[in-house]
Amino acid sequence: MLRPADFELAGRVPYPAGEGFAGGSACGDRVRITIALAPGGEIAAARFGAAACAHATAAAAWACRRVQGRPFLDAARRSLAECASELGLSGRARECAAVALDALHAALGDAAERSLALPEDPALGAVAMSGGVDSAVALLRERARGGAVVGMTLRLWIDEQAPDAERACCSPGAVLRARESCHALGLPHVTLDGREAFRRAVVEPFVAGYARGETPNPCTTCNGSYRLAALVDAAARLGAAHVATGHYARLVERDGRALVARGADEAKDQSYMLARVPPAVLAKLRLPLGDATKAAVRAEAAEAGMAAATARESQDVCFLGGGALDDFLSRQGVQLAEGSIRDEAGQELGRHAGAVAYTPGQRRGLGLSAAEPLYVLRSDAARNELIVGPHSRLACSEVLLRDARLDGGASRVHAKLRARSPTVAAAVEQVPGGLRLVLEEAVYGVAAGQTAVLYDDAGCVVGAGEIAPVPAPS
Amino acid sequence: VRVYADHAATTPVCDEAWEAMQPFLREHFGNASEPHWAGREARRGLDAARALAAAALGVDQADVVFTGGASEADNIAVFGRATRGSGRIVTTPLEHPAVSGPVDALERHGCEVVTLPVDTDGRVLVEALDDAVRPGDVVCCLIWASNLTGVIQPVAEAAAICADRGVPLHLDAVQACPALEVDIGALPGVITAAVAGHKLGGPKGAGLLCGRGLATLEPVLFGGGQERALRPGTESVAQAAGLAAALAAARADRGRYARYRTVRDSYEAALTAQVPGVGIVGERAERTPGHSLALIEGVHGHALVALLDEQGVAAAAGPACASSESSASPALTAMGVSPEAARGALRLSFGALSQDGHGVLAADAVARCAGLLRRASAVV
Repeated sequence: MLRPADFELAGRVPYPAGEGFAGGSACGDRVRITIALAPGGEIAAARFGAAACAHATAAAAWACRRVQGRPFLDAARRSLAECASELGLSGRARECAAVALDALHAALGDAAERSLALPEDPALGAVAMSGGVDSAVALLRERARGGAVVGMTLRLWIDEQAPDAERACCSPGAVLRARESCHALGLPHVTLDGREAFRRAVVEPFVAGYARGETPNPCTTCNGSYRLAALVDAAARLGAAHVATGHYARLVERDGRALVARGADEAKDQSYMLARVPPAVLAKLRLPLGDATKAAVRAEAAEAGMAAATARESQDVCFLGGGALDDFLSRQGVQLAEGSIRDEAGQELGRHAGAVAYTPGQRRGLGLSAAEPLYVLRSDAARNELIVGPHSRLACSEVLLRDARLDGGASRVHAKLRARSPTVAAAVEQVPGGLRLVLEEAVYGVAAGQTAVLYDDAGCVVGAGEIAPVPAPS
Repeated sequence: VRVYADHAATTPVCDEAWEAMQPFLREHFGNASEPHWAGREARRGLDAARALAAAALGVDQADVVFTGGASEADNIAVFGRATRGSGRIVTTPLEHPAVSGPVDALERHGCEVVTLPVDTDGRVLVEALDDAVRPGDVVCCLIWASNLTGVIQPVAEAAAICADRGVPLHLDAVQACPALEVDIGALPGVITAAVAGHKLGGPKGAGLLCGRGLATLEPVLFGGGQERALRPGTESVAQAAGLAAALAAARADRGRYARYRTVRDSYEAALTAQVPGVGIVGERAERTPGHSLALIEGVHGHALVALLDEQGVAAAAGPACASSESSASPALTAMGVSPEAARGALRLSFGALSQDGHGVLAADAVARCAGLLRRASAVV
C-alpha cells in the first residue's frame, strides 16, 4: 500500500503559499503539507512531511498527487472517502488517513487566507458551514439554485480544557461534519483558521466586558464585527460574490439597502443575532432559511441523508464548550473573588463567589433567604460587590445605547433588549454618543453590555446598539 | 527476492511434522477416547506424540496436556491458579497478551498484581523477583524469552526462588522453545510451561501445557474430561503428532540455531553500519538466536514494515501504533524507551526459511526504506 514512489512528493515547498499540519493525537501521527500556487490559482506543487503510520503516510502522498496541477477548488473537493476508497482503507486505517486529509485542507485553508485571489465567478456562491443541520440545508438550497457552490468553515475556537470541547462550535468534529457534508455532494470545502482573529475580536471584549461587571453578548459582536466580514472576504478570495448562511432570518431591500428582517419561524428567529452586521457585509449575504421552519429544515437534511441532520443543537455561547461561565472566565484570567452581596442601603446580606459572573435580573445562585425574592440589580466590579433588591427595583424605562446605529430616522421602534426577551415598544432619539430609548412599559433586568435591537412594525431591523451602564445612584 | 523475516510470528510446517500428521487426518481418524479399534489407533498416535513431546521437554508423559495453541495453554495456567479471583500474582511487563490478559482480568476480579521492573536491556531483575515473590502467592508469571526482543529471562533463578517460597511458576516458553535447551523437568518447584507448535515448524492450532504444576491446577474449561480434564474436547491427534514431531526434530538438529544466529548477526552488523541512529534492543543481553528488535530514529515502524513489504521483506513493527496488532508496548515502556523512540521499533526474526544472504538483503532494504521515511519525517 505504501510504495517507494510515494516518496517522490516527500519534502517541503519553498516559501509555501499554504501550509497545513495535523496530528498529535493519541497515536502520535503527524503530517504536514505545503503547497505552492500558480498565478491562475492552480496548485503548482504539493509536498508532504510525515512521521506517521503507513496509512497516514500513503494518504499524505495521495493527497499531494491528487491536488498537484489541479485548480484550487478542485483540490478542495478531495475527500477522505475518495482517498480511503482509492487506497483500500477501512476501519482504523481510514481514521489514520484522516490525519493526512486534515493536513491537506489546513494547507488549502491557509492558502485561501494568505495567498489566494481567484477572479470573481458570478455563478459561484459560498456557504458558511458550522457542521450543524441549518448550514447543511443552506448548502442544499444554494446548490439547488443551479450555480457552483463552495462550503467554508471558520475554525474559531479550540479550548481543550473545556469540559466538553466537542460542544464548542467549530470543534474538530463539527469541522469534519461540515467538510463531509460538502464532499458527499461533490462540492469543495475550505477550512479557515480564524482562531487568533476571533480571540481578538470576540473573546477578549467578552472577557473585558464581564470584568467591567457588564453582560456582553458575544454572538452579536461576532457576527457584527468579525465572522461574517471574514467569511465575505474569504469568499471573495475564492471568487465567490456572496456568502449564504443558515440563519433563520430574512433580508429585505429598502431604499436600495439590505435590511435584516425576522425569519418565518418565530421560535427560531435569529434576526437579533445579525442585527449588528454592517450594511456592506449584508449586501454580500444570502439567507436561504429565512422562509423555513426548523422542522422543515430537519426533514430536508434527513431526506438528503446529510451527516449533520442529527447533529446536536448548539444554544450556548459557542466557546464555553459546555462549561460554566465562571470557569471559563477564570481560565481566561478574570479573577473571581468572594465578596459581599448587599442591598441598596448597603447592608450585607450574604457572600458571592465572584460578582462579575452574575447578570442583572438573576435570582438563582445567590443563596439568600429573605421575606421577598431578591434579584441582582447590578454588580459593582470595582468593589467586587453584588447589589440586590426586590423585583420592582429592576424596573427600567429608559435605556441608553452606545456604539449604536439607527437607519432611516425612525422615531418609534420595537426594542429587543436580550436575545430571548420579547420586544417592547419604545420611542428612540439620537443623543450624543448614541441613542436613547424611552420604553412604553417598564422592562425588568436590563443588563449593560447586552445588545438592543430595534425593529420597525414590519419586523425589519432598523437599529442596534450596546446597552450602556446606568450610573449607580450616589 | 522475497525474504521472510517474521519467524517469531509463525513458521511453515516442517517435513517431520507434515509426515507425522498425515496418518491421523484420514487413515487413523478415530476418537482417541473410544475403546474400539478406530479409537485405539488414534490413542496410540496420541500416546506416541505425548511421549515424544515429554522427552523433548524433559517432563513425565503424564505432565503433558495438548491444547489448541499456546494462548489457550497460558489462559488455563493463569486462570487455573486463581479460580476464586483472589490472591497475589507476580508478573512482568514483558508478558505476551495471552498471559497479561488473564492477569489483568484477574486483577479486575480482585487479585493483587505485582509487576516486576526490568533493566534497559529488557531483563527481569532477579533481586526484584526475589523481593516480590512471597509464600502464598497464587502464581508467578515469567516469559522465558521475550516475543518482542528475544531477550532470555533468568528462568533458573526464578524457579529456585519460587520453589523456595512454594509459589507456582508459569513460564511462557513459546519463543524460547526449542531454540534454547528447555529442560522443564530439571527446574525445581511447581512449574507449568506453555509451548506453541507453529512457532517451531509445527501446525497452527496446536500447543501444549506441561510440567509438574499441572497436578495442582484447577480446571477452567469443562467438557468430556480429556487431557487431565484441563483441556476437554476430542483430542486432535494430528495436531499433537505434528507438534511433537516438530519439537523432536528441533531438538535433534540444534545446529540450525547457530545458522539463524549467523543470519541475524549479519543483519544487525549491516544495519548498524549503513543506518545511523539505530539501536538494537537487548544487544548486551542473551537473546534467542533469530530475534532482532531495532529502534530506528525518525522512522515509523508501521510505515517501514509496509515499505519493506513492497521490497519483498516480511517483518514486524513494534507495538506503538494503533494500526499494529501486537501489543508489547508496556515492555518497551518498562525498559525506559520513550513513546517517540518506540514508534521506530522494527522486529526481524530469522529461522527455518532464512538463507545466508538474507540478513544483508534485509538490512539493505531497511536502509533504503528508512531513508525514504526519514526524508518525509524530517519536514513534518
